[in-house]
Amino acid sequence: MLSLWRKIRRTGRVAEPAPLAPAMARAAAEMGLGGSVQVRHVDAGSCNGCEVEIGSAFGPVYDAERHGARLVASPRHADALLVTGVVTRNMTEPLRRTYDAVPEPCLVVAVGDCARNCGVFAGAYGVAGAVGDVVPTDLEVPGCPPRPEAIVEALRTLTGR
Amino acid sequence: MNLVALALMGATALGVIGVMAALVVGRGARPVVVGALTAAGGVFGTVAGIAAMLGQAWSANLPGLLPLSGVVISVDALGGLFLAVSGAVATTAAVYGIGYSRHGLDGRGVQAIFPVFVLSLLLVPVAGSISTLLVSWELMALTSLLLVLAEHRRRAEVASAGRWYAVMTHLGFVAIVIGLLVLAAPAAGDSYPAVRAAADTLSPTVAGLVLVLCLVGFGSKAGIVPLHAWLPRAHPEAPSHVSALMSAAMVNMGVYGIVRVGFDLMHGGTRWWWLLVLALGAMSAMYGILQAVISTDLKRLLGYSTTENMGLVLVGIGASGLFASSGRPVLAALAATAALLHVIGHAAFKTLLFLAAGSVLHATGTRDLDALGGLRAVMPMTTAAFGLGALAASALPPGTAFISEWVLLQALIHGLPSPGVATSIVLPIAVAAVALTAGLSVATFVKAFGVGFLARPRSDAAAQARESPPTMLAGMALAGMASVGFAIVPTLVLPVLGRVAGDLVGTGSPVAGAVTVELVGIAGSLSPVLLAAALLAATVLVVAVPRVLVARRARRAARLWDCGAGPLSARMEYTATSFAEPLQRVFDNVLQPVQDVDITHVQESRYLVAAVEYRRRVPDRVERRLYEPVLAAAAAWGCVGRRLATGSVHRYLGYGFYTVCALLVLLLVTR
Repeated sequence: MLSLWRKIRRTGRVAEPAPLAPAMARAAAEMGLGGSVQVRHVDAGSCNGCEVEIGSAFGPVYDAERHGARLVASPRHADALLVTGVVTRNMTEPLRRTYDAVPEPCLVVAVGDCARNCGVFAGAYGVAGAVGDVVPTDLEVPGCPPRPEAIVEALRTLTGR
Repeated sequence: MNLVALALMGATALGVIGVMAALVVGRGARPVVVGALTAAGGVFGTVAGIAAMLGQAWSANLPGLLPLSGVVISVDALGGLFLAVSGAVATTAAVYGIGYSRHGLDGRGVQAIFPVFVLSLLLVPVAGSISTLLVSWELMALTSLLLVLAEHRRRAEVASAGRWYAVMTHLGFVAIVIGLLVLAAPAAGDSYPAVRAAADTLSPTVAGLVLVLCLVGFGSKAGIVPLHAWLPRAHPEAPSHVSALMSAAMVNMGVYGIVRVGFDLMHGGTRWWWLLVLALGAMSAMYGILQAVISTDLKRLLGYSTTENMGLVLVGIGASGLFASSGRPVLAALAATAALLHVIGHAAFKTLLFLAAGSVLHATGTRDLDALGGLRAVMPMTTAAFGLGALAASALPPGTAFISEWVLLQALIHGLPSPGVATSIVLPIAVAAVALTAGLSVATFVKAFGVGFLARPRSDAAAQARESPPTMLAGMALAGMASVGFAIVPTLVLPVLGRVAGDLVGTGSPVAGAVTVELVGIAGSLSPVLLAAALLAATVLVVAVPRVLVARRARRAARLWDCGAGPLSARMEYTATSFAEPLQRVFDNVLQPVQDVDITHVQESRYLVAAVEYRRRVPDRVERRLYEPVLAAAAAWGCVGRRLATGSVHRYLGYGFYTVCALLVLLLVTR
């Protein structure tokens, strides 16, 4: 135990300085969130590649929380939705309901190529469309899957920090 | 002739008229007539009891009424208290019974026995001699047994419950008879004054034996562990207004018996008696509430809660005797006051709870909490009544149990620096037991109310329930008013209770104050009115202020959040079993639940599950350890005895002949 403490003391702070904050998205600036955005993640039919990257973005290496973004457990607590994957037919209604359940105003971030334009699943039989076809999107993060840096960057445009 | 005498005669006359009316009046009007007469009799009983508590005493000797010993009636303040409680509960139950009896309980027999049961409940506390007490006690046991069996044609479990009750109540009666006869043996007569005067001539061992026998007999009636086995069986199976009478009035008679014999007739006795009473009380309180918290049957839960509350009363009685024998009369009076207040409070809220449970049973046909729910919408009055009772029972302010348990804890805590090793071990444990019981009772009643009445209905029966008829609501309203009244202004009864308790241990009243309850002799005061007002103000503040603040903003109506999936269904709710599961896990070693998980696999592959079946049962451990061996031994003895009776007449004649010969030889030898 003591040796662990000693190690922590000796190592000190090793985090790299964060890159400069990007310009704030217009929708987020209008909402006046004050640098703190509560995010609810919705998997609308993803292959889970984007989920892995989101997990990484909120992990200890990229740590999106230090920029004011926080994952929450219910849309009732959320300011923004982080939607991944194509919207499948089964998830169309739940996604719409989740959007309705968020207190107004609500930001929607489409994460990954599938969420933007159906990606490789375009035209598949179970696909209802991209996220933008179901709920209005404010921000898109390209990539299949997008790198954690890109996700953190997108979230920083919401928080402005 | 004073008020007590007049009121008692009125009650008796009304009871007798009630019985005759039940036999004469036609089926349509029978419940109304009998209910009204019994309720009036109950009112008279209450009046007599209150008059006796306020200081009017009355005694009468009716030598011709009973062969050999006659009937002696004598009303004092202690008897008056229990008389008033019985009368009040009887009034409420009788009013409720008018509506409740309409579905199948309006037969001549049941209706005729009900007034007799009420009358016996009024007679036990006013009995003035041992024989009168025993006769009225047996009358009470028999009539209640017949009432428990009222619905035996409809449900098979009733018969089993009735057998348990019949056997246990009569074994208890045997214990009481032996104990009281030994007590009365050296006395000149069997009236209380004569017994009281002769009690000091008993040797300590014999006196201890008398107390233990009375504790067994009276304790089994009060549902004290380990003699509680009949209570959670018989109380749920009886018709609900009878359950209320049994659980709120009849169990009190057990407490009355212990107090009467221990304090009054035998003058307090020695310390180990009361340590025994206290230990039994604490054990019953904890065991009872632990069984209640995992129970899924609404009325069984209430039955176990009765065991718990009687346990708390006995903790108070035991502590009182303990303090009295250690020469601390003020604390003794305080503990006894707490016990008596708990008797009254328990009578009020348990009546209310059983009546509300009866309404639920009446409307839905089930007592299983896992099949109820959603009654708030269809039975708002019953839900309010049960909620009120649950609040009172869970020892939270503003409830009746809160005040009595507060007084009890004050007495126990201030008694900690008592001399003696046993005392200094038992008292802190008693404090902890009372605290644990209070906590578990909150969980129990949150479960009963939340699962039973709130959320969505879990069965069609619960969804189609209808509110009860007005007489049943009136009965609940009476009990509810009593419950609220005692919770907010306990100072109405506390001075009188203090005087009764003070008389028991030979000191003055340990409580004072008109609005604030102030303890005499030790530091401590509590104002139930202010507490209730503060709670009300806080609730209004918490509810109203956000509304006012939020009203300024724009509001939007949104769908209830259900994870975006389909509609919420009753299967997603907490059940009584799942609500109690964490507690069951905590008390795993005590409860020892039996659980089975059966997994059926798909035929093609063991990796796929077709069905999972989970069964859980929590057998009463005391029952398994204590009763099953006795029952097995009795059965084995019966099998052995069967060899003697082969059916041969010659053999039976031979038995008679040889027995007579043996007796003659015995006589010859001993003369």
